[in-house]
Amino acid sequence: MAQTGIGSAEQYNYEIIKKFAIMALVWGLLGMATGVYIAAELAWPALNFNIPEITFGRLRPVHTTLVIFGFGGSALFATSYYVVQRTCQTRLYSDWMAGFTFWGWQTAIVAGVISYVLGYTQSREYAEFEWPIDLIILVTWVLYFTVYIMTVRRRSQPHIYVANWFYIAFILVIALLHIFNNLAVPVSMFSLKSYSLFSGVQDAMTQWWYGHNAVGFFLTAAFLGMMYYFVPKQAGRPVYSYRLSIVHFWSLAFLYMWVGAHHLHWTALPDWTSTLAATFSIMLLLPSWGGMINGIMTLSGAWDKLRTDPIMLFLITSLSFYGMSTFEGPLMSLKSVNALSHYTDWTIGHVHSGALGWVAMVSFGSFYHMVPRLYDTRLYSTRLVYVHFWLATIGILLYITAMWVAGIFQGLMLRSFDDYGNLAYTFVETVVFLHSPYVVRALGGLFFVSGVAVMAYNMIMTIRKARVEAAELDAKLAAKMARI
Amino acid sequence: MNQEKTKSGGAVQTTGHAWDGDIQEFNNPLPTWWLWSFYATVVFAVVYWIFYPAWPVADSFTKGVMNTITFVDGEGNEKTTHWNTRSLLLKDLQEGKSAVLSREYTDKVAAASYSEILGDAEMMAFTRSMANGIFGDNCAPCHGTGGAGVMGLFPNLADDDWLWGGSVDAIETTIRDGRYGFMPAFRETFDDAQLDDIASYVLSLSGHKVDAAASARGRDIFQTDAGGCHYCHTSTGTGLKSQGAANLTDSVWTIVAVESAPDLAAKKALVKGVIANGVQRTMPHWSERLSPAQIKLLTVYVHELGGGQ
Repeated sequence: MAQTGIGSAEQYNYEIIKKFAIMALVWGLLGMATGVYIAAELAWPALNFNIPEITFGRLRPVHTTLVIFGFGGSALFATSYYVVQRTCQTRLYSDWMAGFTFWGWQTAIVAGVISYVLGYTQSREYAEFEWPIDLIILVTWVLYFTVYIMTVRRRSQPHIYVANWFYIAFILVIALLHIFNNLAVPVSMFSLKSYSLFSGVQDAMTQWWYGHNAVGFFLTAAFLGMMYYFVPKQAGRPVYSYRLSIVHFWSLAFLYMWVGAHHLHWTALPDWTSTLAATFSIMLLLPSWGGMINGIMTLSGAWDKLRTDPIMLFLITSLSFYGMSTFEGPLMSLKSVNALSHYTDWTIGHVHSGALGWVAMVSFGSFYHMVPRLYDTRLYSTRLVYVHFWLATIGILLYITAMWVAGIFQGLMLRSFDDYGNLAYTFVETVVFLHSPYVVRALGGLFFVSGVAVMAYNMIMTIRKARVEAAELDAKLAAKMARI
Repeated sequence: MNQEKTKSGGAVQTTGHAWDGDIQEFNNPLPTWWLWSFYATVVFAVVYWIFYPAWPVADSFTKGVMNTITFVDGEGNEKTTHWNTRSLLLKDLQEGKSAVLSREYTDKVAAASYSEILGDAEMMAFTRSMANGIFGDNCAPCHGTGGAGVMGLFPNLADDDWLWGGSVDAIETTIRDGRYGFMPAFRETFDDAQLDDIASYVLSLSGHKVDAAASARGRDIFQTDAGGCHYCHTSTGTGLKSQGAANLTDSVWTIVAVESAPDLAAKKALVKGVIANGVQRTMPHWSERLSPAQIKLLTVYVHELGGGQ
């Protein structure tokens, strides 16, 4: 490692990264625990206890906000600040701006979560924040963009490393999406309630243009940026193909923008819009796979690392889930498949194979690499990383198989006819069927969140170990100085 | 797949850049299978665009070639349009195998009388098939999938006790027009001792061994204008279907679970509660939501759920 030790702590702003990394774990643990609870509510509705604040409808955005923006967002802030500094070999452009992005982002998440529980929501999926919180996010994001771009401009390297392209695309597109999706008129100056500027099918279209590009640029492109740094770094091998990274970056960025409407097949949306969304989704398959190929092939020639390095295991498994869910996505975007899958739990399973399998796993792997380096120490326990890996993997497999069963069978039940040409099942009969898969899903979630708890423990012990080591070093230095 | 060697055997070069000390990039060519698969998806998309509505042009859009749908519109005119999901649905509702089959049976049942339906095995089988769906989607939220109802809130449809009558005509009226089940609350009319007396008398009607003096006092209230209970429940206590007034002489209780109460005191407390608080229940009317044929099917279904009369 070229740049480690006390020198790098002065050369780079590591404090901001540490803060974001810790908050990512806190929000991850809370958000996933909330997910397990609402999964249990679906299996056993009595867990509502008739308390409005903890019903599924209010806790669901709490779960999605905490895991996507709290966990995922903080992980992206942390890794992007780490990657941009190390690959540009320069300190962040502005410490106060970076600090503002931390406090702004955390404020938005806390305020958002409290407002949902109290019943305030814009009712826009993954953008439930009401307008004042949207404004906080806007300011935060503009500063994030400024810090990132200015840091890249100050780089001491002639070329911009590929990870940074992905992070920049993510920051730029999210700014665009956030602004247009949240255009709304508040009821009054001091009211949290607002009305969207759009209505009807245009409103739905705008929401899913936002929603799917949030998946595309927040949960895909940005995490590909993470992958492009941590996979070659951890593998100690060059990236497989520079050419592939260029081609799949631009094709991904170009094609993703078109596909949001595939969430609205068979609705009031015009058919031509549906067609474009479906076909662009199909064309998106190979560009998505470009990232997977580049990541997995980077390890080619060093496969033995999978046997000895649990961090590599996390990273490669995440790429496998990424490949699987980016195959499943285009499949589900075809109108005929969508007719079966839409409005069923297949969609939920698909999202989670991406969110747990790809986003969370690649973040875990990256954190196990990054956090010890931030604190200039080694991981407290490699064995616990293995424990985490297996808990996470079993959890995901239980989750997505349960949702495939739930979704596909409910879809089939809803469209089956009897000998008299009547629907064979009532809606409530399909709900009764869902109970068992829902129990398995909650169990899968429990496995997954237990893994995160193991990780949090490992991280706490790592940081504590680093403090002890630093204190010992200081004592030694002091003793030496005293002798002189 | 060894990236250090090209196909011709020469070594693959890195791009010559290094980041963060040791991150480098090989300059491997695009994997052939990847590139050709990508081209294949583009071809798929282009073919799709040719045959289906796809690209917006000015204030219209490309309609797709050789891909039309012919169906009969709402006014009975045959129409041919470019492929679109709405016409596809209309056509399926008109010509789809299940839709045609279901409509044929529905027409047959709609034209038949209740006694004809009840006596015909095939029509009954169809009725059960279709009304199971109508009941499950519309009635089950309150009455339960099996029609067992909820004590005090939604009547049990699976027993042979009918508050508003169990004949097909009465059931049809109930579904079509809805019902308003009302018994006034007497807590301000009578004091606690009087309520106690009335409850004793009511329990005596269904054969419970109650205090004779209390029952007699209760009887005076029940059977006179003091309480006026007999107007709806009748002087024999057998109830009046036109008012939805319950039969008090049998062992079926619809508002409180008297039968499962542990002792007489508990039973009396339950009955007293009903007299004190009255009953206010509403069943909505379905004439605007369900077609006459659907109501007919549902009537037969509900009639068969319990012991129809």
